[in-house]
Amino acid sequence: MASLRVVVVGGGRVGTRTAELLDDRGHDVVVVEEDPDRVEALSDEYIATVIQGDATRPSILEQAGLDRADALAALTGRTGVNLATCMVATRLESGLETVMRTDREVGDEYAGFVDAVTFPERAGARATANAIEHDVQTLTEATGALDILEVRVAEGAPVAGRALADVALPRGSLVVSDAAGDTIAGPETVLEPGQSYVLAVAPDVADEVMNLMRG
Amino acid sequence: MSHGEREPAAELGLLDATMIGMGAMIGAGIFVLTGLAAELSGPAAILVFALNGAVTAFTGLSYAELASAIPKSGGGYAFVREIFDDLASFVMGWMLWFAYMIAGGLYALGFAPNFLELLHVYGYVPPPGEVGAVALPVLPAVPAEVALAFVAVLGLVAVNAVSTAASGSVETIFTAVKVTILLVFVAFGFLSAGGGGETSFTFQNFDPLFTGEGGALSILPAMGLTFIAFEGYDLITTVTEEVKNPRENIPKAIFVSLGATVVVYLLVVTVAIGTLGAPGLAAAGEAGIAAAATSFMPTGLPVIQNGGAVIVFGAVFSTVTALNAVVIASSRVAFSMGREGQLLPRFGTIHHRFGTPFLAILGSAIVMLGSVVLPTKSAGNMSSLFFLLSFVVVNGALMKLRRERPDMNRPYEVPYYPVPPVLGIVLNLLLTGVLVEYLFRTDRLALALSAGWIVLGVVAYYALERRREAVGAGAPVDGDLAEEGGD
Repeated sequence: MASLRVVVVGGGRVGTRTAELLDDRGHDVVVVEEDPDRVEALSDEYIATVIQGDATRPSILEQAGLDRADALAALTGRTGVNLATCMVATRLESGLETVMRTDREVGDEYAGFVDAVTFPERAGARATANAIEHDVQTLTEATGALDILEVRVAEGAPVAGRALADVALPRGSLVVSDAAGDTIAGPETVLEPGQSYVLAVAPDVADEVMNLMRG
Repeated sequence: MSHGEREPAAELGLLDATMIGMGAMIGAGIFVLTGLAAELSGPAAILVFALNGAVTAFTGLSYAELASAIPKSGGGYAFVREIFDDLASFVMGWMLWFAYMIAGGLYALGFAPNFLELLHVYGYVPPPGEVGAVALPVLPAVPAEVALAFVAVLGLVAVNAVSTAASGSVETIFTAVKVTILLVFVAFGFLSAGGGGETSFTFQNFDPLFTGEGGALSILPAMGLTFIAFEGYDLITTVTEEVKNPRENIPKAIFVSLGATVVVYLLVVTVAIGTLGAPGLAAAGEAGIAAAATSFMPTGLPVIQNGGAVIVFGAVFSTVTALNAVVIASSRVAFSMGREGQLLPRFGTIHHRFGTPFLAILGSAIVMLGSVVLPTKSAGNMSSLFFLLSFVVVNGALMKLRRERPDMNRPYEVPYYPVPPVLGIVLNLLLTGVLVEYLFRTDRLALALSAGWIVLGVVAYYALERRREAVGAGAPVDGDLAEEGGD
């Protein structure tokens, strides 16, 4: 496998962790950060080349080597700065994939402007909820608001022991497979109590689905 | 990236990093090349090593700055890749890879005569030069030294192909052993002064200083030949990700290893010339230091019998450990290039069972094994030539980065910029010119092989380019659909 080259804008908590994770996976990371103290801390981490400056300035951003970069993740704490950075980056290098950090739910408002949106506070909230509630686990964050969940069917829950054909799940939810991932769920799939299933769920029907699966 | 899927924890201290750099430099270079340098330039060999230390120090500064700013364990190739376009960085990696592989051949060739000398000291074989060829029933007779060198490369390649690299602490012990043996050599050499023996240390051996044809200029080709003895700092930068507090320790390790190496070299060369004399050293060739040692070390010791045997053992041990270091270094360069998509992506993969860059090691082994049939001097010259050229590019990368990325954070900065990198480029090019001219006069085979390697590289580059386009267009290419990073 070839390594990716990723530009991470913002060397705060989210940016540093992201850079670390990518470096651990063998990718090539460049961090752009304005604050001298953070730059120093990043150099000590020795995980990425660091460019010191304001990433919304093209002259600074170009120094991250955009021409060879595969992706740029704008992860400062300010949504406006992140958006500006992504816009400048795609103007400089049109094929670049951009990921923008937001500080609130934005849905698909920026779909035409950036390739992906990440909302770390929500991811943190999910991880926390996962840690508290063992029988329902968020697997990943799909683009937009959909959640992919792994849910264990509780004994005596409304759907326990029933085939999918007999269950009316709300619109906006779908059982994808059993947790083993062997087969795609079909109408004949039986929701066995104690077994886990992978579901795609829209946030507004999540509580309803939980009620069905967990009782 | 190091061997294995797990990033090694940062565990190398300043001492370990320094020893890794010294380990590659101390030993093989000095044991193998001193005799050859004396042959070229007589007693002025002492100047050769001193001046080479000075020349290479400029590039050492560049390495320190780049390694502090670019946290990648790919050696000089990684730094050049950061700023130069595809073709330029490919050629750099290609050259550095070759330099390490040929260095492997050189160390193996230095190992063989010293090993025979060791056997000779204990009376197992007749004196070197009288050892016959190894006759195998199937093959034509091969000279014993070539066969030994071949076996040495094969053995170390096998070890490295199926097991991950030894830790830094082992390297530290190895290097300490080498330095200790050399210091014993130096001490006894100086003590022999005034002993009245035929090879007692005397400064008369340095008079006249310049005996080579061409007077003072005769040191230039010798500098080219021995330049490889100072390439250890590139090795340090192949393990930077494993060093504790890298921002401070890597520049320090580069300077300390370079400084300590130069000091040890100068002491050893002084003693070797002061005792055996330049003509004697020249006659002994690759086993020059060992020959000098057997001439003045005490004999009749318990167990080891002959004090010279300690030094000969040192030479054998040094060449083997240095060979091991360049087997790892060459495979790391190939591995980095594979990861960057500049060689076949498979070079950048780790073996599913052994956890080593298996293919990168095997690929490097082919050239190494082929190079043991070369004369030692040709191998030394070729390896030096490619290190010189690679270091020119590294200095260029430093300057290009300074110009194009002024805001890149540089925890260590080269002082008096731009003087050191410019001097590094000019001096390295000067030595390159001298070396090429010298090879043209005396060793056209080495020159032709070097040129051939570059040509082969350009062909390989465009072949890979075609292959990449094919992959990009979605055409299956021998079933190896790797994700290509960048284009």
